[in-house]
Amino acid sequence: MARLLIPFVLLVLALAVAVLSDRPQPRADFVFINRGDVATLDLQRMSWMQDFRVARILFEGLVQHDVFSHDYAIKPGVAERWEVSEGGRVYTFHLRANARWSNGEPVRAHDFVYAWRRALLPDCASDYYKLFELIDGAKEFYAWRQAALDAFKPGDDAQALWEQTQRKFDQLVGVKALDERTLRVELVRPVPYFLDLCAFAVFYPVYPPLVSQYEKPDPRTGRLDIQSGWTKPGVLVSNGPFELKLWRFKRDLRMEKSEHYWNKDAINIDSISIPSVEDPNAQVLAFTSGAVDWVSDVTPPYRGDMYQDKLAFYREHREQYEALKAQGLDPVEIDRRLPPDPRKNIHAFPAFGTYFYNFNCAPRLVDGRENPFADPRVRRALAMAIDKKRIVEQVRRIGEPVATTLIPPGSLPGYESPKGLEYNPQKARELLAEAGYPGGQGLMTIEILFNRDGGHDVIAQAIARDWQEKLGVKVSLQQQEVKVFRNEVKKHNFIVSRAGWFGDYGDPTTFLGINRTGDGNNDRLYSSERYDSLLEQAEHETDPAARLALLAEAERVLVEEDLPLIPIFHYSQIYLFDPHRVSGISSHPRQSQNMFLVDILGDGKGAERPLALPPRPLGPDGRPISERSMSGMVRTGAAEAAGSGGEAGEPAARATTAEPASEPEVAP
Amino acid sequence: MTGLILRRLVQLPIILAVVYTLTLTLAWAIPGNPLENPEGRQPPAEVMEAMKRQYNLDSYWKFYFSYLYNALGIRWMHEELTGRAEAAARQAAAAGQAPPPRYIFDLGPSLQYEDWRVNEIVAGALPVSVTLGGAAILLALVIGLAAGVIGAVRPNSLADLATLTIALVGISLPSFVIGTLLLLIFPVALGWGRIAAWGSPTDAILPALTLSLPFAAYIARLTRMGMIEHLGADYIRTARAKGVSEARVLLKHALKNAFLPVLSFLGPAAALAMTGSFVVEKVFTVPGMGQHFVNGVLNKDLFLIMGVVLIFATMLILFNLAVDVLYRWVDPRIE
Repeated sequence: MARLLIPFVLLVLALAVAVLSDRPQPRADFVFINRGDVATLDLQRMSWMQDFRVARILFEGLVQHDVFSHDYAIKPGVAERWEVSEGGRVYTFHLRANARWSNGEPVRAHDFVYAWRRALLPDCASDYYKLFELIDGAKEFYAWRQAALDAFKPGDDAQALWEQTQRKFDQLVGVKALDERTLRVELVRPVPYFLDLCAFAVFYPVYPPLVSQYEKPDPRTGRLDIQSGWTKPGVLVSNGPFELKLWRFKRDLRMEKSEHYWNKDAINIDSISIPSVEDPNAQVLAFTSGAVDWVSDVTPPYRGDMYQDKLAFYREHREQYEALKAQGLDPVEIDRRLPPDPRKNIHAFPAFGTYFYNFNCAPRLVDGRENPFADPRVRRALAMAIDKKRIVEQVRRIGEPVATTLIPPGSLPGYESPKGLEYNPQKARELLAEAGYPGGQGLMTIEILFNRDGGHDVIAQAIARDWQEKLGVKVSLQQQEVKVFRNEVKKHNFIVSRAGWFGDYGDPTTFLGINRTGDGNNDRLYSSERYDSLLEQAEHETDPAARLALLAEAERVLVEEDLPLIPIFHYSQIYLFDPHRVSGISSHPRQSQNMFLVDILGDGKGAERPLALPPRPLGPDGRPISERSMSGMVRTGAAEAAGSGGEAGEPAARATTAEPASEPEVAP
Repeated sequence: MTGLILRRLVQLPIILAVVYTLTLTLAWAIPGNPLENPEGRQPPAEVMEAMKRQYNLDSYWKFYFSYLYNALGIRWMHEELTGRAEAAARQAAAAGQAPPPRYIFDLGPSLQYEDWRVNEIVAGALPVSVTLGGAAILLALVIGLAAGVIGAVRPNSLADLATLTIALVGISLPSFVIGTLLLLIFPVALGWGRIAAWGSPTDAILPALTLSLPFAAYIARLTRMGMIEHLGADYIRTARAKGVSEARVLLKHALKNAFLPVLSFLGPAAALAMTGSFVVEKVFTVPGMGQHFVNGVLNKDLFLIMGVVLIFATMLILFNLAVDVLYRWVDPRIE
């Protein structure tokens, strides 16, 4: 028997050693659960929201957004000032002298040139390389490199090609380091949102002496073999407010305040940690138990109930709540002034994204049948027959605003959103009859394609019911695994499919571009000369207001006439955090969150000054101007809390007629 | 004994080659493009083609052999011999940087998690899974043997019935139910332990318990059956007639023999427990191996799938070998 015990005693010893050697880290000042695991910290290859969020903590671009201003103002970053010349076509950035990499080296203009060149190499396969095509000569350079790679044969000199490529870039592309601290950028045309792009992490710099070690030309293909080992703790050199201290795959990522950051005195916490918690239920439990300060994407099935509890809390404090709201306060600020209550910790902020349904707009379907949905009247009819209010109130239940436009109204200062189509089954039936399908007769079965999970099935069922009952058409539902779904959509093998889009930068084109003829993200195969030419005109329009008007007209064509897609609702971002304890999370609809602004209130560290968007000015009726852009939650919340008295009109009607935000409302 | 070990070690590469070929063929047939993000922007078609060529995803056979070239250490040797490795190190030193890490057995990059190589992923996750799995197997042994012995001593008594019921529950209740219940009882209701954390020894208790229950239940049943069979044997009657104490009869004589089927179960069980459980890892947020089997397949992350499957296969073979060796050691009658 003793013999038998020996292996088990050894096993116990081994376990003890394993456990003891893996000591836990002390809790960071601020712990949050990101939207998903970070896929990459390689700035030019990023494409996920959670990656960008971490990138903004670790790195800094030429400029940054003031996320606590209503117009998302541009603030200096690495560049302390800049000049715009030649009618907005040429930007000259002056880098601050004390901008430093985390190893103490100065940030140089050349570091930006290096990073932007990476993004423009087909080898890097940057998801956002198209944004760089706004730079003069960039398109030519990209095409030249692609052609050179295509012509490359094994046996050719890969190193020589790479050196030639670098020279070609300097010749062709309008990005020049005039000296160590001056960067000159020439654009193909004036781009009013160029500074907004410079605040986008794909435009941030990398540290060339490090990154170049991981980019070697592959003698087999001539391409740069881009490896990513440089993004690991102990190796990574970054220039932002925090440094990477620990990154364990699917476990945690930890950052600590950088001693070399030029504005380090403005940082209110010493460490940030992001544990990797996938299970939505475990995320909520981790927050309730105090292990986590912020959950950035709350997704368990009962979140609707949590949100309804918060509305119940508002009802209990109705008078006080209404009074605070009437002052035009930021919803976070309202929560801070109401008595503490755990029900308040859930927040639904409007997000810069829209949930919509795609129509296949090609004349023929992939299976060869003639496509009745190529007719805009049919698409309009289907759009007008969806009771979106019921979807947001009974299916989603988190106070998301009904959408009649692709771009969330009020998210872009100065942009007047079109009205879009209202819910009108009667008119929908007439339109359908006019198109030759009276009572839905003669129309093929509409197949709705969507991916499993995420609650898309319930939405599809609600829409199918509307179409069947209101229009008499036949509808079938087709659910697929996400990979298969993606494939089918990309092959345009669908009649109607579910979709969503989040904007990347503060300009209408970030949404409108996906409907251009030939755009890589035009899954709908929508092609309209009128729409394309409006976007084209806007590109060449130098007057900002006239340009926005052209874009608004393009969106009007999209959402009132042609309907290649049916906007269903604008996303809300659901957060969990205690507004009395955490400051620095913005309720601005752009939702890009700069976590280095976080301050833990009451820990005795940092400024201890709670941040919030400034109050909105009151309109002539005594209500804050353009509520839409404040929060979808407050709107629906108020309507619920106040019964029908507090605000005029019912929410759905208001969503279709909501006045869009006019001009920068509060310029701080 | 040496013959057995040698024979098994010769079999190892053959089995691995078969596993490799089968897995790659199946994984290759998964629909979808592993380089594509399920949502968001897509690189242009020509870039996608070039990336496919870079990773040898454009042809099954190219992938088949290039994976072996890297994973078997042939590339590493090639780079050492041709001096390419040394040149890269010199270049890095000149720039004041450490050279990029290299692996002898390079399992390739993860296609979904761009910043990670499969080697790094496994190096992080395998120790966690081995710790958790080892603890679970130990717990399962303690619980299972105790329950089995109690049941066998008084068959059909109340205690037997109770342990049998618990065993049945342990086998039939899915671990996400048990795990969530344990989470709700201990950290949430009673405030004992942390949620969604891994790092301190106490964090392993609840997941190990959850993971151990199905194994414990099976061990309990094996022990009980074996014990009942052996307690009726002649040599036990002889021992009792000699006046050997009951505890000694049970533990030294009966249990030793009844333990053999448990031992043969332990080999695959340990390999299974130590390569992680997707469900337990998800419920308790354990950064182990189990999730990579599932996510690898969902994302069609070919390198990750091949890496974790080959490691699982190797562990399974080695653990079975260890059990066979132990078997002979415990019971020399077995040839």
